[in-house]
Formats: sequence, structure tokens, C-alpha cells
Amino acid sequence: MRSRSRPAPDPSPWLFIAPAATYLLLFFGYPVVKNLVMSFQQYTIRTFYTGAAPFVGLRNYSTILSSDLFSKALLNTVLFTAASICGQFVIGLALALFFQRSFPLGRVLRSLLLLPWLLPLVASGTTWRWMLDTDSGVVNDVLRHLHLLPSGVPWLTGTSQALVSVTLINIWVGIPFNTTILYGGLQNIPTQLYEAAKLDGAGPVATFRHVTWPLLRPVVSVVLVLGAVYTVKVLDIILLVTGGGPANATETIATQSYELSFQQFEFGRGAAMSNVLVVLSLVFAVGYLRANRRATSV
Amino acid sequence: MKRAPNRGWPSTIVGIVLLALMLFPVYWMVNASLQPAGNLLRGDWFPFHPDFSGYRTALRDQGGNLVTSLVVALGSVVLSLSLAAPAAYALARFPLRGSNLVLLGILITQMVPSIVVANALYSAYNDLGLLNSYLGLILADSTAGVPFAIIVMRSFMRSIPREIIEAARVDGAGRLRVLTAVVLPMSANALITAALFTFLFAWSDFLFALTLTTTQTVRPVTVGIYQYIGASTDHWNAVMATAVLASAPAAVLLVLAQRHVAAGAAGGSVK
Amino acid sequence: MTSPARPLARRISARLGTGIVTLVLVATGCGGPTGAGSATGKVTSITALDYYTDEPEHTQWAESLTACGKSVGVTVQQTSMPGPSLIPKVLQQASSRTLPDLLMLDNPDLQQIAQTGALTPLDQYGIDSSGFAEGIRSASTYQGKLYGLAPDVNTIALFYNKDMLAEAGVAVPGTWQELKAAAAELTRPGRYGMAVDANATFEGTWQFLPFLWSNGGDEKQLDTPQAAQALQLWVDLVKSGSMSTSVLNWNQADVSDQFVAGRTAMMINGPWRIPALNQATTLHWGVATIPVPQAGQTPVTPLGGEVWTVPQSASKARQQKAAHVLACLNDSTSMIALAEQHFTVPSRSAAAAQYAEQDPSMAAFVTSVEAARARTSELGVGWPRAATGIYTAIQSALTGEQTPEEALKHAQQIATSP
Repeated sequence: MRSRSRPAPDPSPWLFIAPAATYLLLFFGYPVVKNLVMSFQQYTIRTFYTGAAPFVGLRNYSTILSSDLFSKALLNTVLFTAASICGQFVIGLALALFFQRSFPLGRVLRSLLLLPWLLPLVASGTTWRWMLDTDSGVVNDVLRHLHLLPSGVPWLTGTSQALVSVTLINIWVGIPFNTTILYGGLQNIPTQLYEAAKLDGAGPVATFRHVTWPLLRPVVSVVLVLGAVYTVKVLDIILLVTGGGPANATETIATQSYELSFQQFEFGRGAAMSNVLVVLSLVFAVGYLRANRRATSV
Repeated sequence: MKRAPNRGWPSTIVGIVLLALMLFPVYWMVNASLQPAGNLLRGDWFPFHPDFSGYRTALRDQGGNLVTSLVVALGSVVLSLSLAAPAAYALARFPLRGSNLVLLGILITQMVPSIVVANALYSAYNDLGLLNSYLGLILADSTAGVPFAIIVMRSFMRSIPREIIEAARVDGAGRLRVLTAVVLPMSANALITAALFTFLFAWSDFLFALTLTTTQTVRPVTVGIYQYIGASTDHWNAVMATAVLASAPAAVLLVLAQRHVAAGAAGGSVK
Repeated sequence: MTSPARPLARRISARLGTGIVTLVLVATGCGGPTGAGSATGKVTSITALDYYTDEPEHTQWAESLTACGKSVGVTVQQTSMPGPSLIPKVLQQASSRTLPDLLMLDNPDLQQIAQTGALTPLDQYGIDSSGFAEGIRSASTYQGKLYGLAPDVNTIALFYNKDMLAEAGVAVPGTWQELKAAAAELTRPGRYGMAVDANATFEGTWQFLPFLWSNGGDEKQLDTPQAAQALQLWVDLVKSGSMSTSVLNWNQADVSDQFVAGRTAMMINGPWRIPALNQATTLHWGVATIPVPQAGQTPVTPLGGEVWTVPQSASKARQQKAAHVLACLNDSTSMIALAEQHFTVPSRSAAAAQYAEQDPSMAAFVTSVEAARARTSELGVGWPRAATGIYTAIQSALTGEQTPEEALKHAQQIATSP
């Protein structure tokens, strides 16, 4: 179209993309392929000394899939992801609706809310771990002072409580992200629609049901799917707060993969385990692409 | 922004209460860091007598690690932006046939768990001698920054009016010149947002720091804290002081660049 | 290069190799003050890695290393890594060839690390390794070769707060029944009667062994009634509220912190915590042997102690220097000095006898260490798997996920899995 005004020596447009594309291939493409290959090999402690990692077919997969920890880790991953998403979304939406009103300091408060999401997980995880200590943690201190639970809750030492605790921490981390995106979605809803609903005599609940929710739907599906994709691979929080314990109560597919590779140096099994994680992510990825398509077509 | 100050203040109070609940752990971290040394089994609710010995210990033990983190994070910003800016420009402005495929690829990178990357990079780095090196960490940490920066900058560059670019082209500027002289200066906001988040991603990275370093030569502060927890049970104030120091960049950037942070949070995620 | 089929020739050439290195060293050493040391390979500093991150032990080791370094003409750069993360780190370092010149290992880990090929046998350095107590010698030997030496050894015992026992009118417990009763009696709001380390690491296993072994349990067969009874004792202590559920997360230093802070009246811990306990001036503590199932039995405790090893490295000269420092740490004088600092027992029998004579208060430890059992004595490189099984069982049982019997059955599966 513009060929007439084009100056002579001009780098091909692909040269602009090539460096980034090469980087992405090296640091995402290669690991995915390498991981697939490694999952069919047997790595031991000696491998890095001798360099011998024989191919063993599907044995790594059969070992990890048949281990009694696998089903527990899978269940934990699903529970952790589902509960995190629900919690983050519901609270995030409530806060987004709240901040949609205009009030003094509203903007400042809204941006300060982002802090939990921006802090290094190591810093917040360490703090939480200490706050949730059964005997000397501040959370149980408060519960005791309010005479709610004199004995305190074994947040990190009870097998059922520990998973709840790490989930709550992950919700805490994820709320700001959800609030921000949903708030952005809310801002895009034309004000006239609210005014029209008001004229029709609709209350706040009816307005939410008939105006806000339908128009927010595309953003909602993107938030949910993206949240799931990010949550399923969460590793740092669990590693920092419970280390997968007590009694493996907070082991997930991601922590298992880390332990196999970097604690036991069974890189083959670790790779197989992380491929399970990739498959889980892919399931959500398909959902994401679908949701994205729906969002752009609306 | 519309204002309704009359019915506003009660909302402000509710907002402050909600925020106080959300930020309580941050307060608790700061409070703990100001308690005197010794085991913190009996900490106070308020730092009535702030004691800065925790910070002294933290700076002595972890000062070098903080510098390491800073070097790695700045390195990652430079690398990510110099890779992402041209790519974002090309994806935003050139009618390329394969560009949708590239975008799809970038979206797919978001699904790849970091543990997969760490698994494969460990043995590759081992062969290449990149374990325990700044370069190795910068390259690995940029896996979060590069896709993010491309997405943020591309969506911004799409909104630059076509006329401006065409005018520069008519004046005889090549593609590279248009990028450096016209597009980048106009995209300053997007660049700042991308830089800010790339910095925070690399600064907060834990998994790569944990798996791709084996000695103390190159040790980011995140791993420093992690090993601190297990090591010094009688210096909890120093552990928490290190956590505060590690959190400081996030807090400072949030206050200084509120607008960019909010833009990044929204922009990088949806598209 | 010599072929492996001619071991004698290889040994000779290895000797020649070290001989030449020594010659070079001597030559450069005598070569005047021209400071061209690094170019000709003269070793002026070596690195050492230990797992004593807590004070005062960290500094004590630093001083010993510096002193021994000085005596052989090198400076020693010491780094420390928390115990539980040491082994993964060492394996990582072995694979990336970044091992230190001198490495401290907990004695039950030595065989596993030696198996990877990351360590060098000590016989090539001409170190005097005679007169060591049998337990620690066997723990330091893999496939007939000695890979490490421990200057001092130790074991664990029951520490108690004298004031709390006196105030509650409780005698120092000697049997399991007495332990349960005393722990219950000593529990108050904000304070527990008893504390152990039951975390999901080898430390948790280590603290459980005296209970397992004294009751006739054995790591070769974990699903036995004897083992279940021992585990039931810990479960009872937690269930009755005499012991915090946080024991699931505590390491031994945390347990000692709880004890110092007055949050527990009794604890299981090792003598290396004594310096820290002595720093707490208001604390009056005592130490006794670990309670046994029935009165009159002798407790069987695990043998503790850290062995120093010389890892593989590219530089023979550095290895040789490291070996000299190792030999210095393990001579009778410095082992007695170390033992005095750490309240542990010298590992050469003659030195131990001399030490017991010097310091009669340590005589009890000297005798109990003699009877102590090395963790790898039965299973060798299979020990880590059994140890993993044991701490997994402890965690499952204390959280109430499984009964002790079920948990130990599972532990046995872990111990014997490929």
C-alpha cells in the first residue's frame, strides 16, 4: 500500500521480532521439549557425575502415577486451585464494586490495596507462617483474647487446617489482582445503563443482576481462567509456609515435582510430574483461549 | 472523576477498615522487625520501643544478597525491554502474516509452570557453566518479564495514531529510526510500566534463585531469607527486617508510580 | 593414563602425582618472596562448608578451622548451611562441581554421598586414623574405605527445667509412664510439659530413635509392635495436650528456643545446645538420660557427630591442603578442645578417657556415647530411605491421619521401595 514512500534500506519486520522470539523459544520452547525427553530418562544422584541417564520408557510415569502421594497431590492441587479462585474472585468482585463508588481517598486506598500482590512472596509467606503459629502466632492470640477458641487453631500443624491456611494466604495474595481487573471491567460499563435501570425502578440487586453481571461476563471469564492457570502452578507459597507438610497434607503436583527434582535429584520423575502439571495447565489454557475469543467477539 | 462527598466519608471509613485488614500482615512484618533480638515468642503488638538492631544484623548478613537482587533485577529490566520493545512495535504496527501465531505463542508461555523451566535449565546451565552466575539468573528471571513487557507495550503502541508514524516515514525515517525516535518516546508510560513490573518479577523471584544457585557467590535476597528462617531462630527480628527490606522496592514503587502499577495490573492480564 | 586393571600401578602413579605436587609446593614455598604463588598453583586459601548456622557453634567452628588452617599455612573460608537443606545443596554442588574443599557431613549421610563419587578416600593423604571409636569409624566407611573423620561425637538426652519440676513437685522421669505423668503435670496455660523435634526431616527421625531402639524396635523392620508402642507414646503426649502440635514443624533449635523461653518444661535435645542454655541466666536446667519403657532398662541412643570429608575437586593441591586441615581438626588436642566447647565427647577412645578424667561431669556422656548406635550400621546407604519412612510415619501419626500401626506399615513400604 505504502510502497511508493518506502525508504530503501530497511530491516525486515521479522528482525524486530527475532530476538524476542529466539529468547522465548530458548527459555520456554526448549524447556518444554527437554522436560518431555527427561521424563523418559532415569536420573539419579550419580547422573551428573557419570552423565549416564538411560531411557526407561514410561517407567517414570508409572512410578509417579501409582505412588500413593500422587492422588493426594492431585486432589490438593484441585482443591487449592478451586478454593483460591472462588475466594479471590468473590472478595475481589465485592471490593471492586465497593471501590466503584466515589468517595474521598478512594483512589489512594484502591492502589494501596495492590501491596499484597506486589510484595515478594518470600516476605509475605514468612510473615504469614509466623502469624499462623499455633502457640505464639498473632492469629491464635486474637482468637484466644476474644474467647472464641481457647485452645487455638493448629493452622499449620493440622492436616486439614494446613491446606485451608495456604489457600487463605493465596487468596490474600490474589485479591488485589482480581479487584483491579474487575474494577477496570466495571469502569467500562456505560453509566447511562445504570441511569436507565434506576429510572426503571431497579434496586441495587436487580441492577447488578440485569446490568452489571451480563456486561462484566467476558472480563469475569478471563479473570477466572487466568487465575486458574496461575494458581495451578503456585509453588513458592506452599514451599515457604508449610513445605508440603504436615504429613504431606499440602503436597501439590508442583511441590512434588520440585521435591523429586531438586531434593531427591530424580530429575526424570520430577520432569514426569511437572508434565502432569503442564497437562493441567493446558486444560485451562484451552478454556482461556475460548474465553478470550468470546471476550473479543462480544 | 465524579464526587459525592456528602455520602462519601462513611465509605472512606469502611474502605480504611477493609484496607487495614488486608494490610495487617504488612504491619505485622514491620512491627516484628522493630522488636528487640532474642526469640520473638513474646512480641508486642506495637513497637513502643523500636529497636533497630534487627536491621543492623540484617544488613550485615543480607546486605550483599540485597545488592545481588538489585543487579539481577536491573539486568532483567534491561534485557526484557530491549527484547520486548522492538517485538511489541512490530506486532503492533506491521501487518505480518505470522504475528497471530507469535501472540498465541506468548499466551502459551503463560501456561508453562516455572518448575518446568527450572528443571530443564538446571541441566542446561550445568553444562554451560551458567549456574551461580548473574547472567544465568537474569536470563531465567526474564521469562516472566519478556512476555509481559511485549503484551503491555504492544497494546499501548497500537493506540499511537497512525498519522504520526506515517509522517515520520514520509520524512524518510527507516523502521528502526521510527521506533527509536518516535514510537519509544511516545510510549514512555508503557515502558515505565513494563520496566516496573519486570523489575518486581525478577526481584521477587524465588524458584529460579533457589534452583539455579548452589553456592553463596550469587545469592538473591529471597533465598537469603529462606535460609535465614531455618538458620537463626534466635534472630527473628533480623529475619523480619530482611523481609521488610526485600519488600521496600515494591512499596516505594507503588507510592511513586501508582498510576503505572494500576495500568500494568490491568493491562498485562486481560489482553 | 593407567588402566583400572592395574591398581598397583595406579596407586604408584597417584603417589608420584602427590609427590610432585608436594615438590612443587616446597619449591614455590622456598622460591623467595616473589608472591607469584597463584600462578604456580600454591594454595593459600581453601573453602569449608558446615551446617552450624547457630551461634555460638558457628563461631567456635570458625575459630577451630582458622587455627588449623594457620598451622598448615592456608586461610579457611567458612560457610554454613542449615542442616536440613545441606544434603540437597551438596548433591546440587556435586553435580555442578562447586563442592567446597572441606565438607562437614552428618555421619549418617556420609555413605550416601560417598556412593555418588563426590568424596575422596582419606587413605591417599596419609592421615592418622587410628584409635577412633568403632561406631563413628563404621559410619565413616564406605565399601571398605574411610571417607571422613569426626573430631567429636554426641547423642541426645532429656533436658528439664529444675524450677518448673520443683514447683510442680515432679521427679525427673525415668520411664515412659513417668514421662507421660510428669509432662501432664507440668503443663500449664501457655506452657507445655514436653517438647521434641518431630518435623519432616531426618532430625525428626533422629529424635525418635531412642524411643524406637530402647523398646526393641529396629529400622530393618518398622511395622512391629515395639515400634508402634514407641510412636504411640509420642501420639499420647500430643493428644493429651502435654506436647504442642507445633512439634511437627520445629527443628531442634526451635525446641531449644521453646525451652529457653519457658514454654516447655522438658525437651529432648543434644549437648551442643548447652552453651546456648548457659547464656540464659535465669534458666536452671538439668539433663538426664532419655526415659526407657520399663525401669531398669538402658536407653539405646543414636550416635551423633559430624564427619569432615575432602570432596573431589580439580586441584589435587587443594585437596591435600584440605586433608591437612582435616587431620589437624582430628588430632587429640583439638578434638578435646572442640569437645569442651560443644559439650560433646572426643571420638578417639584414648582422648575420651583423658577427657572424662579432666571433666567428670561429662563422664556420663562418655559412657552413653560408647553404647550409642550408628544409624547406618545396619542399612548402610539404605538408611536415608528408612529414615524417610520413619519421619513420614511420625507426621502421619501425630496429625492423627493414621494410627501408629498404619503409619509404620506405610513407613516399611517407603523403606523398602526401590
